Amino acid sequence: MPTIKVDGTEYEVEQGRSVLQAIDDLGLLMNGVEIPHYCWHPKLSIDGSCRLCQVEIEGMPKLQIACNTPVRDGMEIRTRSEAVQDARQSVMELLLVNHPLDCPICDQAGECKLQDYAFEYGVKHARTREPRRPAKKATELGPTIVFDQERCILCRRCVRFCREVPKTGELGVFARGEESRLEVFPGMKLDNPYSMNVADICPVGALTTKDFRFKVRVWFLDDVPGVCNGCSKGCNIWGSRSNNRLYRYLPRRNDAVNQTWICDEGRLSYRRVSEGRLSVPRIRGREVGYAEALAAAARILSEARTAGATVVGVASPFAANEDLFALRGLLSDLAAPAAVYTVPRGASDDLLIQAEKAPNADGARELGMRESADGPGAAAVAIVLGHGYGPEAFEAVDSLILIDTHESPLERSAEVTLPARSFAEKVGTFTNSARRVQRFLPILEPRFEAWAEGEILQRIGAELGLDRFRQAYDPALLAKLIAEEIPAFEGISIENLGDDGRELR
Amino acid sequence: MIEAPVVTSYLSEHYADEAYTTLAGYRSKGGYQGLEKALAMEPAAVRETVKGSGLRGRGGAGFVAGVKWGFMPEQTDSMKLIVCNGDESEPGSFKDRLIMERAPHQVLEGILIGAWAMGAERSYIYVRGEYALPAERLERAIQELRDQGRLGRDCFGKSGFSHDIIVHRGAGAYICGEETGLLESLECKKGQPRKKPPFPAQYGAFGLPTTVNNVETFAHVPFILERGTDWFRGFGTERSPGTTLFGVSGHVERPGLFEKPLGTQLGELIELAGGVRGGRGLKGVGPGGLSMPILPASDLDVGMDEESLSARGSHLGTGGIMVMDETTCMVRVACVISYFFRDESCGQCTQCREGTGWLYRLSRRIEEGRGQRGDLEVLGSVPKMMEAQTICAFSDAAAWPIQGLLRHFREDFQRHLPEKSCPFSEGFEF
Repeated sequence: MPTIKVDGTEYEVEQGRSVLQAIDDLGLLMNGVEIPHYCWHPKLSIDGSCRLCQVEIEGMPKLQIACNTPVRDGMEIRTRSEAVQDARQSVMELLLVNHPLDCPICDQAGECKLQDYAFEYGVKHARTREPRRPAKKATELGPTIVFDQERCILCRRCVRFCREVPKTGELGVFARGEESRLEVFPGMKLDNPYSMNVADICPVGALTTKDFRFKVRVWFLDDVPGVCNGCSKGCNIWGSRSNNRLYRYLPRRNDAVNQTWICDEGRLSYRRVSEGRLSVPRIRGREVGYAEALAAAARILSEARTAGATVVGVASPFAANEDLFALRGLLSDLAAPAAVYTVPRGASDDLLIQAEKAPNADGARELGMRESADGPGAAAVAIVLGHGYGPEAFEAVDSLILIDTHESPLERSAEVTLPARSFAEKVGTFTNSARRVQRFLPILEPRFEAWAEGEILQRIGAELGLDRFRQAYDPALLAKLIAEEIPAFEGISIENLGDDGRELR
Repeated sequence: MIEAPVVTSYLSEHYADEAYTTLAGYRSKGGYQGLEKALAMEPAAVRETVKGSGLRGRGGAGFVAGVKWGFMPEQTDSMKLIVCNGDESEPGSFKDRLIMERAPHQVLEGILIGAWAMGAERSYIYVRGEYALPAERLERAIQELRDQGRLGRDCFGKSGFSHDIIVHRGAGAYICGEETGLLESLECKKGQPRKKPPFPAQYGAFGLPTTVNNVETFAHVPFILERGTDWFRGFGTERSPGTTLFGVSGHVERPGLFEKPLGTQLGELIELAGGVRGGRGLKGVGPGGLSMPILPASDLDVGMDEESLSARGSHLGTGGIMVMDETTCMVRVACVISYFFRDESCGQCTQCREGTGWLYRLSRRIEEGRGQRGDLEVLGSVPKMMEAQTICAFSDAAAWPIQGLLRHFREDFQRHLPEKSCPFSEGFEF
């Protein structure tokens, strides 16, 4: 492995990488080693055109772009020399020759690399006296993306993204010189299942999503690491919240899962956290208090146990591993068979989108639950997480205890209904289709009384006097118990999963 | 058709002879003897000969051709290519056009010698789109060779040497004359220079090892093989041997091409072109096409070779000499130059895309009498921001002439500021 020296510090790097790639591999880019860049992106081909990442390399007369200069053993790189600073300042000044200074009305302000780098590396005063070149404002590139040509700095990340990732190639840079402009090819629209990623990788306010633009100033947002629950890929996300409201998902980089991307459907699934939520506890349709509903559920189960009646469980592939583990324990104590579950299915591709449209089907599998198209069969009582099955699946069930996040036709068949927290309102883990366990953290506080499925089950279990539920609900403890009981989970804890997750054994 | 040079040497000796454009006519003047000699040699020996001649590329950068040929990988499974750059687009340059029109076989012979030397199986001649007659003449010459079975397998009767030549016509962008912009264009992509690495010798046209040389560079090669490196080095200077076709244009009595050894004095070339028009005084000279710093009249004694010119702060470029007489407004020259580069920049690199437009608008504002204090400082600093930092040399080419103008003709710029208009008499339409 070659060794390079960056500003006097030595690093071992991988052969065949460029300077910028090598520094990114080490996790140091803009995080210890400052090499500002626009056109370079870790998951796209090298373009080499913005010229911002120029560095000084010992023995080379001209500055070199770090993104396209291969590392060499013994290479000495300087990122802070006067020549480098001059070059950065030049690029920043030139980029602003035609870029409007309209940050106050630009939706990118606050997370704009042009703004950040101009502040960090640019000139203090504009020396141009010429009017800026006018260009098209707010044009639609397709159903999801709005383009502001004035703000485009022609880094062509979006062009390369469309060519290289979804391989749809809708975008190109047309004309040349300062007339160059990003456009969709004639007769096309920017319309592919991953289109909104172009807004994330656009370093400026040129590409924004129709969904998010002008909803909130980004400096009011804070981002919580989570996992998309749209399908079994488990793309890593940031959930951006403000005032207990979820405004968007952004893809969070995880090279083992989703690189830096997310599909449009998954991205927009943040809406499901607030739409159509089951918020009212009920007993046979009658609105009741949470504690009352919980007591009713415990009573039904207690009576069934006393009568030796059949109890069955239905798991949800949307629930966390910890919730499912609590269900597994409760069913076991009630001498019920392993829970069944069903997974909604849809289209898939070979990029991210998986056919199983739930985040934790593999978790259910690993926890010994059984996938069944038909449902739990005949029973006196069914404890049901979620509404994977329709009411017809429970025709042979006397009493249905429904613990769910969203409203569904199943409510009408339920004896007791208990609102549950969505994954965005709790901590937990999902197991994705590649058997990777990933952690999510609470983004929001529930806006109504609701507990995690695991907590509901724990309370019911405690009510029934079951030993294992004596301790208060604690997802970290549940995760620990999973690791002890299920060999595949050995060594996994909520803490040691970190933000990147771990594969099952 | 462009007029044959009135001053000739070995290269253009027969350019006035219409028959020289045909295979028979070319052979009757000794054509293809260089190739025959080369084919009797080992390829490595041919490369050594060309390297030993010191022949420098005639496309503007002046890189030693034999060294470039040595960059091609010897051991490779890939087909190797030669690309002949006939996209002559540098304002002030028109020599390649003449060569292709008057001596297409010189070009083909040079290419074939290169093909043997480098083991290339195919070559493309990329001809500037507007050059209809040159392309036609090359096509005809290639057809003549094909009709005689001299191309393809066992090319020129040499067992194991196969080569074919294809003429490709450009579509009219200056940047397609840049080596790798040309390769992109040849692949039917947008003409934009490629970042390096990889270099064309590793990853050239269609991803194959490729050597790109200018039309004139190839045209010299047959003479070097036929007559030897010592003979070739008898022309020109130690580091810039051989002749070249100097184009002289602008404010001269008789614009045209003149074949003279490299190192010939600039003043002598202007005299060959009949001197400055109407007996006026000389103001400045662009010595190497539009892209090189413009020199003042006091530099007439400079030798027209890279070493002598760079000592005076300019470069040989393509040897296209543009003469400007005393009536010329140098701010207007800056406008014209910067307009051209603003229009022709491919737009990839920030410095070039934004810098060329800035230079143009700034020069134009000064020319129109709307200059302000501080403008000249900005005009002086923008070219520095554009230099030596981009994918290709276009940005430097856009920056250098402005720097030359400010260095030698600052007074012209200064006069525009207080007078609030162009102090030169002739009107100018933008």
